[in-house]
Amino acid sequence: MTSERRRYWLSLGALVVVLPAAIVVNSWDSLAEWRRSQLQKPIVVERGSAQAYAGAEWQLTGLTRLPGATPDTTLIVAEFDAVVDDPTLLQAGPCAIALTDDKGRRWLPVFLPGRAVRQGRPAAADKPRCYGLARAEKGKTIAMAETFTVPESAAGLTLSVSIGGAKPASLVLK
Amino acid sequence: MSAFLKGLGGVVLAAAVLYGMQRTTPGYGDITSPRPVAGKLGHRLEGRAFAIDIAKVQLARTVITKGASRDSTFTTSGVWVVVEGTAEALNESLTLLSAEWLGPNGVRYAMSQRLSSLPGMLSGQRLEPGLPTPVLMAFEIPESQVVGGTLLIARSAWAPLAEQARIEMVGVKPVDIHSSLVVARAQGRVPWALSAQ
Amino acid sequence: MSAEQRLTWRRRLFAFVVASVGAAAATAISFAMTVYEAAHPKPVPIAAPGQPIDTGRWTITFRDARTGSLPPTGIKPSTPKKLVMVEFDLDNRSATTSNVFSRLFAIEPPIANLPPPAFYLARDKSVAGGLQPDMPERMIAVWEWPAAVPVPEQLRLKVATQIHKQRDNLYGAPGWFDRDPAAFVTLAVGTSP
Repeated sequence: MTSERRRYWLSLGALVVVLPAAIVVNSWDSLAEWRRSQLQKPIVVERGSAQAYAGAEWQLTGLTRLPGATPDTTLIVAEFDAVVDDPTLLQAGPCAIALTDDKGRRWLPVFLPGRAVRQGRPAAADKPRCYGLARAEKGKTIAMAETFTVPESAAGLTLSVSIGGAKPASLVLK
Repeated sequence: MSAFLKGLGGVVLAAAVLYGMQRTTPGYGDITSPRPVAGKLGHRLEGRAFAIDIAKVQLARTVITKGASRDSTFTTSGVWVVVEGTAEALNESLTLLSAEWLGPNGVRYAMSQRLSSLPGMLSGQRLEPGLPTPVLMAFEIPESQVVGGTLLIARSAWAPLAEQARIEMVGVKPVDIHSSLVVARAQGRVPWALSAQ
Repeated sequence: MSAEQRLTWRRRLFAFVVASVGAAAATAISFAMTVYEAAHPKPVPIAAPGQPIDTGRWTITFRDARTGSLPPTGIKPSTPKKLVMVEFDLDNRSATTSNVFSRLFAIEPPIANLPPPAFYLARDKSVAGGLQPDMPERMIAVWEWPAAVPVPEQLRLKVATQIHKQRDNLYGAPGWFDRDPAAFVTLAVGTSP
């Protein structure tokens, strides 16, 4: 084959290699970050011990079961403390709190604690939700509480805490 | 001469291919359109994020709501369609904000905001995993769009590639239009009580 | 330069000039057309109350205008207010439910410090949500008139149009875009109890 034709086919072949390479090079950063977040295992904290995360020491202080509105629902009141070490890191992003069970289902907090919490666990009803972190000062302990509506049969419940600034690392409080 | 014809043929072929590509390229709206999950009235439809089961569809000319202080009557130039069902989140808590009635002519009628304060309305119910929740929806449609309608239910109307449940409304006929439907609050698992008049 | 080189240079220069003449002509013509259209705007038709006006997405028919102190809900406001109300029939001609009618018509000439109007459904006497396609409804637009400005005897409204583009110029997504006003409507303002 002539040198011109060889050049033509070589260029076409090079295109097959160069195009995917261009895509990969351009999205390398987001690919690396995605892979990092997939491989990241959350830090598991046993009850009674505190863990440093996102500029504070976190500890789960209570997980109370209360009867829900119907026989097959349960209200879970999760109370947790954060001893502030670095307020800027703590307020660097939105806080995402969820309750997870052993089957991997996630429950997001209800908006208002409601009458049942006020009657069943009045101490928790006065605690702010995770937006209480907005008032963080170094050395202060912020006590927060979140309420969840879960089925009666949910087991292995753990609280998952994730602060925007510390992503992709997250905390699981048992 | 044959070289000229070959050249001309090449140009014509390229033009035809480009024209075909231009006509068949999906638009932005089609590329980001919701992902449909098909189902039928009376059967549970399970998607990836939520599951929904439409049990009953009732038609009426007026809807009367019994409130704490007074009753309100809602009239319409078409027909009211009141849909009862059960919805459940599968993995994570969510709210289904978008419900539309797709008429046979392709027009989409969104849930009526006039009745948005009814107990158990779909857009106000937070669905939790493991807890099937009774939901209510109300639509105002012209009478001609009752037969052959499809219910489109999704988490959001605008999120690209959202999962959308498409439930065919088989068996819904204009002969069953009640003159009025009364919606009252109820205690217990289902927060509403419907009675036809 | 040799004679042949000069010839090729001249040929390329000639081709360059011919091509740029075409581009320059296109630019000049399009600029001239824009200037001409701006200098000679199309006259906006006058519509009468009771006449349906097709604005693309909506078909609007004005009924009447009145002033009063009571909004269509019938609930007396906490502080006494001057309200100007315009009653009209609105028909959604698009393929989905829409509540984008707040900028459909505006008072012309615009009144300073006038807050945007609130829209009520005459059927329910409550604030209007989305309007369903092909189901015309009677609606009432209510302006809270500023205290300093006297209530007008005649209200002149400019009705805007919208067109539907299957592919817009930015994302190629379908959407509704504003175009030239459809009509001017003058309504005599009566009084209501």
